[in-house]
Amino acid sequence: MPPNKIPDNKDEAPPPAQSSFSQQTSKVRNFFSIPAPVKTLFDKVPVLTYPSNELPQRAPKPARIPSLYVFIKEEDAAAGRPSYNPSCLKWQAFLNIAGVNHRLVPSSNHASPTGVLPFLLPAANSSNSPQETSAPIISNKLIKYAEKLGKTVVETSSMRYEAYQSLIDHRIRSAWLYTLYLEPLNFSAVAYQLYVSPNSSNPLVRASISHQLRSAAEAELLKHTSIIDTDDLYSEADKAFEALSILLGGDSWFFGCSTPTLFDASIFAYTQLLLDDELGWKEKKLCRALRRRANLVQHRERLLVKYFGGS
Amino acid sequence: MASNSGSEDELLESLRNPHTEKLDQRAKELREREEAQTQKAAQRLRELISSNSTLPVTISSIRLIGSGPQHTRRSFLDGLFAPILSANRGSSYKLSEALQEAGAVADKLRRFDIYHDVSMFVDKPDPTDPSSTPTDIDIWLQARERGRINLKTGTDIGNVEGSAYGNLLWRNIFGGAESLSLNASKGTRTRSSYQAVFDAPILSDPDKRITLDALASSTYKPWASHEEVLKGAGVKYSWATKSGTRHQVGYTGAWRQTTNLAADASPTVRNDAGDSVKSSITHTWTADRRDHPLLPSRGYLLKTVSEIAGWGPLRGDVAFWKSEVETAAAMPISNGVSFTTGLRAGVLYPLPVGFGGPAQPSRIHDRFQLGGPTDIRGFNIGGLGPRDGRDSVGGDVYAAASANLLIPFPRVAKDTPLRLQLFANGGRLLALKDTSSSDVYKTIAQLADGLPSLAAGVGVVYAHPVARFELNFSLPLVMRRGEDARKGLQFGVGINFL
Repeated sequence: MPPNKIPDNKDEAPPPAQSSFSQQTSKVRNFFSIPAPVKTLFDKVPVLTYPSNELPQRAPKPARIPSLYVFIKEEDAAAGRPSYNPSCLKWQAFLNIAGVNHRLVPSSNHASPTGVLPFLLPAANSSNSPQETSAPIISNKLIKYAEKLGKTVVETSSMRYEAYQSLIDHRIRSAWLYTLYLEPLNFSAVAYQLYVSPNSSNPLVRASISHQLRSAAEAELLKHTSIIDTDDLYSEADKAFEALSILLGGDSWFFGCSTPTLFDASIFAYTQLLLDDELGWKEKKLCRALRRRANLVQHRERLLVKYFGGS
Repeated sequence: MASNSGSEDELLESLRNPHTEKLDQRAKELREREEAQTQKAAQRLRELISSNSTLPVTISSIRLIGSGPQHTRRSFLDGLFAPILSANRGSSYKLSEALQEAGAVADKLRRFDIYHDVSMFVDKPDPTDPSSTPTDIDIWLQARERGRINLKTGTDIGNVEGSAYGNLLWRNIFGGAESLSLNASKGTRTRSSYQAVFDAPILSDPDKRITLDALASSTYKPWASHEEVLKGAGVKYSWATKSGTRHQVGYTGAWRQTTNLAADASPTVRNDAGDSVKSSITHTWTADRRDHPLLPSRGYLLKTVSEIAGWGPLRGDVAFWKSEVETAAAMPISNGVSFTTGLRAGVLYPLPVGFGGPAQPSRIHDRFQLGGPTDIRGFNIGGLGPRDGRDSVGGDVYAAASANLLIPFPRVAKDTPLRLQLFANGGRLLALKDTSSSDVYKTIAQLADGLPSLAAGVGVVYAHPVARFELNFSLPLVMRRGEDARKGLQFGVGINFL
């Protein structure tokens, strides 16, 4: 846009020239803006505005608390029970530990801005106009979100923290992916019921989703190794449980903290699901490896009772 | 002698400087004479036929003379020709009847879209042929088959959408006018689309068709912050009645995914994200008696669409009964000025999936959307109805109407498909709050609460043979809070305008 002020060094320019120049610039501006008579016409319409239309039945009721979108059954969501997906459960446990009040919404990866659950949708703020929807908060922004709400988030600053975290994120996760998706018995008994059948009643769609899930799990495992060695996966997970059991020792929470941290939440995400008999595991190798570590089993009980009402 | 040489000079002169006007004149005269002759011949033929119109004749044979390779099956042509042969009818024709029947056959042949041009001749069989009777006539049809494979690529620009496409058409596959069309396109809104359509006439009748189709597409829907990924297949049967109305009955199965949500998608759209399968039967009935489909000046259109999904043996994940009615009427006023009006309405009635159980509330894919340059001008696409944040989430019940006055352009011939228009249009789109039948009736009654959302304006209409273009200046007059009206200019391209 051309400057509408004459630079200082041209002050000596005769006034008529200046006015014609500014006239010109205003002409250029006016060409692109709405002419005044049209603008006044635009301001006069609409002549009549009624209240807004009501939303359809499936639209969620507005809530005063934030909504956490997770993999969960409808009835479990209402009761605040744990999600059946480890990453969702980790952050659900974290929010419970941090004391961030939220409601659970059963959902699927399609709903997420990143393509994976969980994510948090902040409560509809009364100060927001109804035209605006607050942006979702993806999982790795949840610590900041909790801190912003003034919740105390205990962070472990141990040097060993990252090494142990990677045990969970790699060894245990790989064994989990294998046991859930690639053990045929567990896939049909557990994964199919949780991740496939809720999506659609159509057998073709179910077959397609099953195939997608299994090949995604396989691709994920092949990222770290060239062949999938079952015994190796299980023995690595067993070693990881052993190391975590030694780390916990006789303490209530990991790293000797007085309250649980995100680390406790991330180990709970797996121990809760492996020890939950309601899921109906058929091939229990990984479950047995965990049950041998009594202090990890007690750790899960402790979290479940304290933050999930013992359900 | 002198005079002679003078005329010679004249001749040479005229050869040297030919009078172009004179030549033109002569050519014109020649043309006129030829025209007059053909006209006279036609006239004579007409007279001959009309004076002999009651002459009893029998059609003894119909022959198709093709040039080039012939792929059309004999049995397919038999189905077309056999019914009018006198031997199969058991009675003789009047000459006029016979010609009419033969003309109808030639017309059918044209409509299969497998021949370039079909022309008809009538002849008397050789009287020395012992098998012929004195009343026999022979019908000769001359036609050239069209190429069997047609490959086409191109670009399209439509309503805020640009796309590139490739199309392969395989005609007359089994010699019975069957066709297979494969289509692939990529665009700004229809991100990708792959479609295969197999179409075949039944019993050699161009008005009875069976169509099998398969579709995989991905469409960006910015008015509801999501992308719809669709995989589906269907079968349709269409036929025309004697009175000229058309029916189509079809089954469709489709797997829909609401995915790739925008960062600021509303909770309503987030709740509907994921998979759903629709298994439905649709019936469409159309009576189009307008003089021009894109810019009518006389006549009316009636169309109903009914769909039942999910109920009973259909299964799937969604269940509803959907009915839509569309009407349009045009009437000339004077001096090329015409008035057109349109009315559309629809309702989605929730049903239980399978046999019994609770009725299913509707999802965003199945609900109606209203607004945009091709239906309610002066509103953006999906601009009317319930909105959550910026998202137009659709409704279950709607009604929309429009009135347009079309005026010929000053200083432009009236037969040019260019008009000035004055219009007013409006409508309502409402969502059900529960699945009970009483709520459906209550919501329908609610359509009449207050004034409908309304917009009016002026514009220019151009009816190109393939689509109608409109550029309008419009202002919203009445609206609901949150509805997305458009003040000022709006451009629309489409084939079906309200």
